[in-house]
Amino acid sequence: MALKIIDTIKKRLEERPNELIKARKEGQKVVGWQGYNIPEEIIYALGLIPIRLGVGGDDRLVEIGARYISTKNCVFCRETVGLFAENKDPYIQNTDFLAFDATCLQTYRTAEILQYYFKKEIVILGVPRNFYWPEAKTYFTKEVEYFTQRLEEHAGVKLDSNKLAETIELYNLTRKAIIKIYDYQATKERLISWEETYDILQAGYFLDRKEYLGLLEEVLEELEEKQGRPVIEVDEDEARIFISGSVIPPGDKKLIDIIKEVGGRVVGDDLWSGLIPYLNVEIEDYTPAGIALAYINRTPHGALPYLDLETDRRIIRMKELIKSFKAQGVIYHTLRYCDPYTFKAKETKDVLQQDGIPLLEIHTEYAVSDFEAIRTRVEAFVEMIKNKQ
Amino acid sequence: MSKIEAFAGVDVGSLGTKVVILVAGEIAGFSIIPTGINTEENGLNGLSGALENAGLDREDLKFIVATGYGRISAPYANKTVTEITCHARGAHYLHPQTRSIIDMGGQDCKAIRLDENGNVTDFAMNDKCAAGTGRFLEVMANVFKVSLSELGPLSLTATTILPVSSTCTVFAESETVSLLARGEKPENIIVGIHHAIANRVGGMFSRVGIESDVFFSGGVAKNIGMRRALEENLKIKIAEPEKDPQLVGAIGAAVIAQNSWKRGN
Repeated sequence: MALKIIDTIKKRLEERPNELIKARKEGQKVVGWQGYNIPEEIIYALGLIPIRLGVGGDDRLVEIGARYISTKNCVFCRETVGLFAENKDPYIQNTDFLAFDATCLQTYRTAEILQYYFKKEIVILGVPRNFYWPEAKTYFTKEVEYFTQRLEEHAGVKLDSNKLAETIELYNLTRKAIIKIYDYQATKERLISWEETYDILQAGYFLDRKEYLGLLEEVLEELEEKQGRPVIEVDEDEARIFISGSVIPPGDKKLIDIIKEVGGRVVGDDLWSGLIPYLNVEIEDYTPAGIALAYINRTPHGALPYLDLETDRRIIRMKELIKSFKAQGVIYHTLRYCDPYTFKAKETKDVLQQDGIPLLEIHTEYAVSDFEAIRTRVEAFVEMIKNKQ
Repeated sequence: MSKIEAFAGVDVGSLGTKVVILVAGEIAGFSIIPTGINTEENGLNGLSGALENAGLDREDLKFIVATGYGRISAPYANKTVTEITCHARGAHYLHPQTRSIIDMGGQDCKAIRLDENGNVTDFAMNDKCAAGTGRFLEVMANVFKVSLSELGPLSLTATTILPVSSTCTVFAESETVSLLARGEKPENIIVGIHHAIANRVGGMFSRVGIESDVFFSGGVAKNIGMRRALEENLKIKIAEPEKDPQLVGAIGAAVIAQNSWKRGN
């Protein structure tokens, strides 16, 4: 049975577009952002309203987007362009300016397209290609400082150090709460599913962050009251799946629904649209530079190369998460023309195989023509895991 | 109540519906019919044909497992299992030393790895397009104005392997038409097509690894030219099938039906 608070979150999401219209009328500005390294804390601390843009799963929007970029570009980027071209999405309509980062070069190029065709004002955050060098840290710190200046110009105010400190505390608590909810979804009790947890996580990119933290705390209260502390154990006849790979944005339900339909259970992820950006964020110095350093020390996005497999934080983190969620197999989701993750599919499979963790790559897009073919693969993968037990 | 304990595996593929009846672990009957637009009806017709072939009645069947793409429309089945698992069990039943399977069906192509008990350990399938499948070869046979069964023997008469660069069905068809227009011999083009498919299968095995013994299943496995191209391209020896390789999925489904009945599920 679903938690009561989930209905409240859904209701608040429905009400949110009208709130944004009202806030804009009152002079507040909405920043639509996309990327992995955008320091949302700074946007929020400046009194701007951050909204992460981008949905998936709608082939019609992909086709509209393909009027402006190549059909050989990432399907998520095409749908993002389609959203702007159509201009019916309430979040797209209620955005004053955009902030994109250059983590994934296709996202960065998408920003250029939005600027050229739809005359959007965009603040770009540069991102180093190698996160491990001291020079990269210096570069990213400078980029975040410049990004802050640009935002200050838009906000018409200077960043207040007290407000930033307050915001960082708020985001730290949010991160902790999300990590805790993720533990609950992987337990035998199943009071909350991964799908519900993922939807709750996505809600945070639309709702006001203060209110959102309150809602997360209510989720945790309800869970703690009903279940006590989360203990992750494997149930009999389960096929516990860990999801990795390309972005799974709101609206893209195909793969997740198939996994559920064929008897698999998702128990964790390291998606950049999922849990991974919430992990390992240690902000020691409550300044833009401090945030930059903390972000650069997180698990890097898949668009950046594996420089040394033995020490790569993504592989290490992925293995840790698979272990802690007690996952029995990985479904590695690659979106058509999402090069960063598609390039790494076989390599990741071979690396995990050394630890006896099976990986199934599902390469797909938002059209439904491959639904049955994907179902056969996922179902066979689930059968394989169950037969192993 | 019938005292006979018979088990059926129904494999409703995109081109053919195959049914196998097992009694006491032995194949008692089978049927192969073309798949039409009503997959449920195809399964039931195939079942009737196989029962008749085995000299059995419907009440003799204790458990039915449906597989293949039509498994989702099989209310007559007690259980559905994917064709990947079924091909592994079927190949293991026919040739227990099997560790790798190349399965080429009507609309897809698979590389399957299995353990000594016939359990799948890894697999890869062709993505989206029909290249390397029965449908692809059907289109090609149509270009050469020969029957599907003639493609294999024709390719064995080739004097050279003409490279066919594309394995997309539509592009390969136009490429083939161009080669014919240039006066190239059909057998040399056909062998090139087989090698192009074999190359693609090699790509799938690079993802899952290949280990002997290698078993070739599915309708395309009847094509001697395809078999030869795979052996040459992958540098492997394919195990000799004792039964029609098109029946492997249905055999596996029947084996699973028998085991499920014994386990009580």
